[in-house]
Amino acid sequence: MLAIDVELLQKRFVVQKNREGLAGAFKDLFKREYREVKAVKDITFQIPQGEICGYIGENGAGKSTTIKMLTGILVPTSGRLVVNGYVPFKEREAFVKGIGVVFGQRSQLWWDIGVVESFNLLRKVYRVPPQDFKRRLDELVERLQLGELLSRPVRKLSLGQRMRCELVASLLHNPSILFLDEPTIGLDIVVKTEIREFLKQLNRDHGTTILLTTHDLQDIEALCSRVIMLDDGTIIYDGSLELLKANWSKGREIHFHFGAPTALAALEQLTSGLGVQWRLDHELSAVMWLPSEINVSGALARVVGAADIRDIKIVETNTDEIVREIYKTEKVAP
Amino acid sequence: MFYGSLFWEYLKNYAKTRLTYRADFWIEVLSDLLFQGLNLIFILVVFAHTDSLGGWSQAEVVFVYGYFMIPYGIHGCFFDLWGFSERYIVKGEMDRILTRPAHNLFQVLLENMNPPSLIGSAAGLVIMAVSWLQLDLAVQALDLLMLAVLTLGSTLVYFGLYTALTAIAFYTDAPTGILPLLYNIQNYGRYPVGIYNRTIRFLLTWIIPFAFVGVYPASYFLDRPEEGAASLALLTPLIGLAFAAAGLLIWNHGVKRYRGAGS
Repeated sequence: MLAIDVELLQKRFVVQKNREGLAGAFKDLFKREYREVKAVKDITFQIPQGEICGYIGENGAGKSTTIKMLTGILVPTSGRLVVNGYVPFKEREAFVKGIGVVFGQRSQLWWDIGVVESFNLLRKVYRVPPQDFKRRLDELVERLQLGELLSRPVRKLSLGQRMRCELVASLLHNPSILFLDEPTIGLDIVVKTEIREFLKQLNRDHGTTILLTTHDLQDIEALCSRVIMLDDGTIIYDGSLELLKANWSKGREIHFHFGAPTALAALEQLTSGLGVQWRLDHELSAVMWLPSEINVSGALARVVGAADIRDIKIVETNTDEIVREIYKTEKVAP
Repeated sequence: MFYGSLFWEYLKNYAKTRLTYRADFWIEVLSDLLFQGLNLIFILVVFAHTDSLGGWSQAEVVFVYGYFMIPYGIHGCFFDLWGFSERYIVKGEMDRILTRPAHNLFQVLLENMNPPSLIGSAAGLVIMAVSWLQLDLAVQALDLLMLAVLTLGSTLVYFGLYTALTAIAFYTDAPTGILPLLYNIQNYGRYPVGIYNRTIRFLLTWIIPFAFVGVYPASYFLDRPEEGAASLALLTPLIGLAFAAAGLLIWNHGVKRYRGAGS
């Protein structure tokens, strides 16, 4: 069964145009100009139950707008949308019982009361039976090591502690789909790793479908079997992370460390005709960029025989660079 | 039943947070009462210069004021959404509300509950009782029942008006001055409407019916036959229901237009 089914989903906003300067502001007072912004343009995708899917894109690409439509916060302008068997904005109150939502930038918890009091309040709001609630809370608290935090008010927690509490809060009613909007933003590497591990286990043990947006591609590499990439309101990639890397990775870099000072011209001379590019960091160290279609052995052979090499390192282009590359090229394309 | 238990939970949490800031609580009660006291003094000052206001004696006007304080206090406790636009729209806290399985307006109201306002209602009741004795009116069991019904009606008028106007925040992103304006106009409903010209009287009766939060329902108890105000009093519950329904409709329609804050 599909957890999320989206077809030609679109969201337009009408934005008021503000004219410049005092004179412009005065004109706006009498006659306003509006312009329409398409935040999400006819996107289509399906996510089966039990999948962890990463939703990435630059700021303003429409990620949050999509998530907000999927969670029933925003009403779409057009298109078909079924999440967990419901049309989110139509049967909102019944629908949200089956989903969990974590917005990294915003707290779900009550600021002034103890964490456990917030959880109790949520238990009432979601109408979770006391025994289920207790079992679930114990499990989550143990898994995320929240024991001593529970009695503290939220405002006295660190960001990492708060984030773990947010996760618990979103899972108390045992949702079958979890939406995470930048769950690891601003967290240190230890907490990040812990949260990733936790999400993986949650997915494995409970079959929870997870859709997360993030700017940290490590999240994606650690968690997601699938990536949907968004740019300017349209999906530009939908598939596995491996395929994304294979398709977009155009080459690799070979780092050389030389025993004697070497000139750039001499290096270029050695590999002329291969289509590789050289970059000299300083006179003892250089980087050769090699397109995917050329063999490493062929290029290396030319250099190895002619130069005094202390060290060689081959670096695969990482996801960050690939994604940066995609963003850049998509920006240029009309 | 569900909403009842939610109400109780929120109230408990309100108490827990508030008891940690005790001084705050009392300052709020005090400033509330001081504000009301000033209004009362204003009435007394006016009557130091004249014996009657549009044919109404001081005790009668004070009685109306006392009545007005009751729905005003109840509104302040349960339905006051001052700052809604700032907190829920601009800062986007409505996102959180909308991802929870309870009616969104109900959640927002519960989060903004302010029980100290009820002390104002109690003070209003005392003022009413004192002027009741001064005016030497008879007390019947029916009066108490009517007081409850009329108060409910007046509170609904308040609720409807403020809900509708707060919902404006969903339709425009610019802050509007309408709410503060309304806040000032509501004071006009405390005085005998006979002293205003016809336009304002019409406005206060049918458009922004603040006369139904003060002078009309109060005159039910005063038996003033001359203006027909007492018969209008019986309309209070109907006007209340009509405005509350309209307010809810506008709100529910507005929520669909909610656009969320950036990020």
